[in-house]
Amino acid sequence: MKRALTGLRAWLLQRLSALVMLAYLVAALLRLAADPPQGHAQWQALMHAPAVALATGLAFGALLLHAWVGARDVLMDYVKPLPLRIGLMTLLVLLLGGSGITVLRALL
Amino acid sequence: MEVSIYRYDPDDGRPPRMQTLRIEPAREDRMLLDLLQRVKREDPSLSFRRSCREGVCGSDAMNIDGRNGLACMTPLRSLGARVVLRPLPGLPVIRDLIVDMTAFFRQYHSIRPWLVNDTRPPERERLQSPAERERLDGVYECILCACCSTQCPSFWWNPDKFVGPAGLLQASRFIHDSRDDATEARLDDLDDAYRLFRCRTIMNCTEVCPKGLAPSREIEKIRLAMLRRAV
Repeated sequence: MKRALTGLRAWLLQRLSALVMLAYLVAALLRLAADPPQGHAQWQALMHAPAVALATGLAFGALLLHAWVGARDVLMDYVKPLPLRIGLMTLLVLLLGGSGITVLRALL
Repeated sequence: MEVSIYRYDPDDGRPPRMQTLRIEPAREDRMLLDLLQRVKREDPSLSFRRSCREGVCGSDAMNIDGRNGLACMTPLRSLGARVVLRPLPGLPVIRDLIVDMTAFFRQYHSIRPWLVNDTRPPERERLQSPAERERLDGVYECILCACCSTQCPSFWWNPDKFVGPAGLLQASRFIHDSRDDATEARLDDLDDAYRLFRCRTIMNCTEVCPKGLAPSREIEKIRLAMLRRAV
């Protein structure tokens, strides 16, 4: 548990997740520039295409992990009282978890 | 020239204050340390550390116009008409420009700054090839003045847990020394949330090092050594 998501693993995870997000962003911008969806129906069709839904899910997964590592680092640096830190980390987990569930529901 | 100096004497019961002095450097005053010595001759109560006066001992590290440096290696002509001198930031002040460096040296000692090699020593010495020796260039020159660590915000927040750039530079020196056998243990020791990975690559350390060293590059080398080991 000690090394669950600290040290090298957390550092590596933050860099890899950044690469995933960058790749998604570039691919999404290229796709939208090449053939911009017209109206709600086309947007829905695009986002529910299996490849797009998978890539979007991956990118949001990467975003949530990236945000967790980064925000946890900020809390570890600035919030010294342990109960307050644990409270804020719990809030963060709820916020990120809630965001993840919302994205999943939208994609599925 | 106007010199503003941080003054604090724990014995007089007054809070710390900035004292502003007007002093003209003499012709022979070339470095900031020369000027400080001149001030001290006029006011012996002014306290600061100095020893070698040539950038080798690292004693006279201080914050000069907001930037850490060695007074003995700071030419007066590089300074403006007004200079602000403060003690190294982030460490407790003992008196005037003298700080308590216990936290800094505790971190330095924590990386075991000596060769660990349990094999039987050869008759004369443990030899290195020129290439192996070259890997220590840019690292062994550190004089432990603490300019880097005390300019590092990560060290300000966690001086008890984050090793800091100076300690990590030394860690890299031993991790990459061909004569040292404890590489694995050294990497294990640094692989937690704080000791190495509080470094956010702000790079103040490399920016201010008065010896021109690059602790941030050494920190990156340690991360890469960990990565190579893990994959």
